[in-house]
Amino acid sequence: MADEVQELTRAFSGMGGLGVDEPAMVSALARWRKQPEKRSGFRRGFPGLFRSHGEMDRCEEAYLLHLAAEFARFKNLVVLWAMHPWERDARLAHHVLHQAHPAAIVVEVACTRSADELLGARRAYQQLFHHSLEEDVAYRARDKPYCSLLVGLVSAYRYEGPRVNEEAARAEAKALGAAVKAAGGVAGKLVEDGEVVRILSTRSKAHLAETFRYYKEIHGRRIEEDLAAGKEETLHETVLCLAAPAKYFSQVMEAGLRDGADHHAKEALTRVAVTRSDADMDDIRAAYQEQFGAKLEDAIAAKAHGHYRDALLSLVGAK
Amino acid sequence: MATITVPQAVPSSAEDAAALMKAFQGWGTDEKAVIAILAHRNSFQRKEIMLEYEEMYNESLIQRLQSELSGDFERAMYYWILDPMERQAVMANAATKCIQEEYKIIVEIACANSPAELVAIKKAYHVIYKCSLEEDVAARTRGNLRSLLLALVSTYRYDGDDVDMGLAKSEAKIVHEAVRNGTTDHEELIRIVGTRSKAQLKATFICFREEHSTSITKALPHGTDRTGYLHALRTALRCIVDGNKYFAKVLRTATRDSGTDEDTLTRVIVVHAEKDMKDISAAFQKRASCTLQQAIEKETSGDYRSFLMALLGS
Repeated sequence: MADEVQELTRAFSGMGGLGVDEPAMVSALARWRKQPEKRSGFRRGFPGLFRSHGEMDRCEEAYLLHLAAEFARFKNLVVLWAMHPWERDARLAHHVLHQAHPAAIVVEVACTRSADELLGARRAYQQLFHHSLEEDVAYRARDKPYCSLLVGLVSAYRYEGPRVNEEAARAEAKALGAAVKAAGGVAGKLVEDGEVVRILSTRSKAHLAETFRYYKEIHGRRIEEDLAAGKEETLHETVLCLAAPAKYFSQVMEAGLRDGADHHAKEALTRVAVTRSDADMDDIRAAYQEQFGAKLEDAIAAKAHGHYRDALLSLVGAK
Repeated sequence: MATITVPQAVPSSAEDAAALMKAFQGWGTDEKAVIAILAHRNSFQRKEIMLEYEEMYNESLIQRLQSELSGDFERAMYYWILDPMERQAVMANAATKCIQEEYKIIVEIACANSPAELVAIKKAYHVIYKCSLEEDVAARTRGNLRSLLLALVSTYRYDGDDVDMGLAKSEAKIVHEAVRNGTTDHEELIRIVGTRSKAQLKATFICFREEHSTSITKALPHGTDRTGYLHALRTALRCIVDGNKYFAKVLRTATRDSGTDEDTLTRVIVVHAEKDMKDISAAFQKRASCTLQQAIEKETSGDYRSFLMALLGS
């Protein structure tokens, strides 16, 4: 009986995991038919969801909300998955802009999609919301230091080919180093630097890869290290998304699977799994293994439950 | 509306290609024949002729034209024969090479095209130059001029008619503040001009005029600004508010008695002949003492003049 209770409690995600274990719940329903005393035993053994109130155990409101979110995880995943990628990105961006959530999602969409995918998302945004993406970003972020960078990133229509102007790449690596030095680690200063914004928001990805390579050669450190040290979160994310998206996404996944991950970090799991499943998910799995010494699918299997877990595993490409 | 005329019964592209070859042969070129064909074909037909010519004679039609023709006529014909989006990409690229003098061409291309056309131009730019227009514009400018040009060139404006009047009023206030302070802090102004839809901007400028009894272009600080930022801004505003009036003025300036500016004439007429030259012509006539055709007739000569007149539908 205690085992059954524990199993059902776990199914209701009383153990901090993601999603709910639908099959376990259904089997409990079947097993305990015409045995209400089993159900009361369950209620009494689950103080997180139920509180004793005289003859009746009542539900905790906060936990009910939590349950609703956990039940909805699978639904949200499937709906996001079914959408056209352009509408998906447009809705993700809009949701962030109008809810004052981290601007990180905007950077992610702007930097990890191809030029035509981003343009498609901008087109979808106009059809859905009757404004351009850049005008909404410009308006919502107008008081933030990262405003010009963000507007530049979402407006970009980058050249996608391999041709790189080596001289320009080298000169810009120098310029980036100079800008980092001039900002002197003062938070918010580097992200407003005109040259930094220009380089990151107009150059092609191939050009930027070369520029970052030169940066390491000239300054002896990777640019991501300098940005992390100076507490430039938005810039750090931008550079990571542009130069090493698989690494970036594997870090996002890890943050969502960690103990004590917050609501946004957990939502990110669905977002990354759905949006990258067809794209670079194999690279993301490899990057995850390299950085965290474990398989992404094992971490998911340990933390998630039920249909949500199975869906994530399928999207992530687990065999 | 376009001004070029295409015959009802258009010869096949093979016939046209053969006729062009005939015009090239012998002593000198039969320019009249070249104009009679190419000035009366739309972009799709011109492309077919180019492909057919290359297949039939194993040489590029563009290169042949460049060697057979000369001067302003040759330059105009070169631009004319290109695909419309490639054409503007080529013009934009030429402008980025001396951007401090030619930035207004970038502004025109960014503001006078529809959002979809601007994307097509940028795509063509990628293919031809193996880099983006934005990179070239940004790398060669600084300060406010860079911020403005980059914003104008990168934007993908909402194309619809939805307007938020409350927003128009509040942004008219912001614009007024920026304009009053001179040319220092124009970040908000550039944000508005560079991202809002054309319908929204027109509404904002109307609110500005109602509130301050003067148009925004008149309210901009006067006096020389060596960076070119103010001039670029004024050009952008004019193009957005009334493109036809803007180009009519450009043509009037180019056909003034004090010397004709053939490069400008070529640019405006070749780009707009198959777009909206009729409306620009009408706007021209409103403010000038003659029709556009009469001005071209008077200020240009030779085959160049014949070509322009043909493009204008004469």
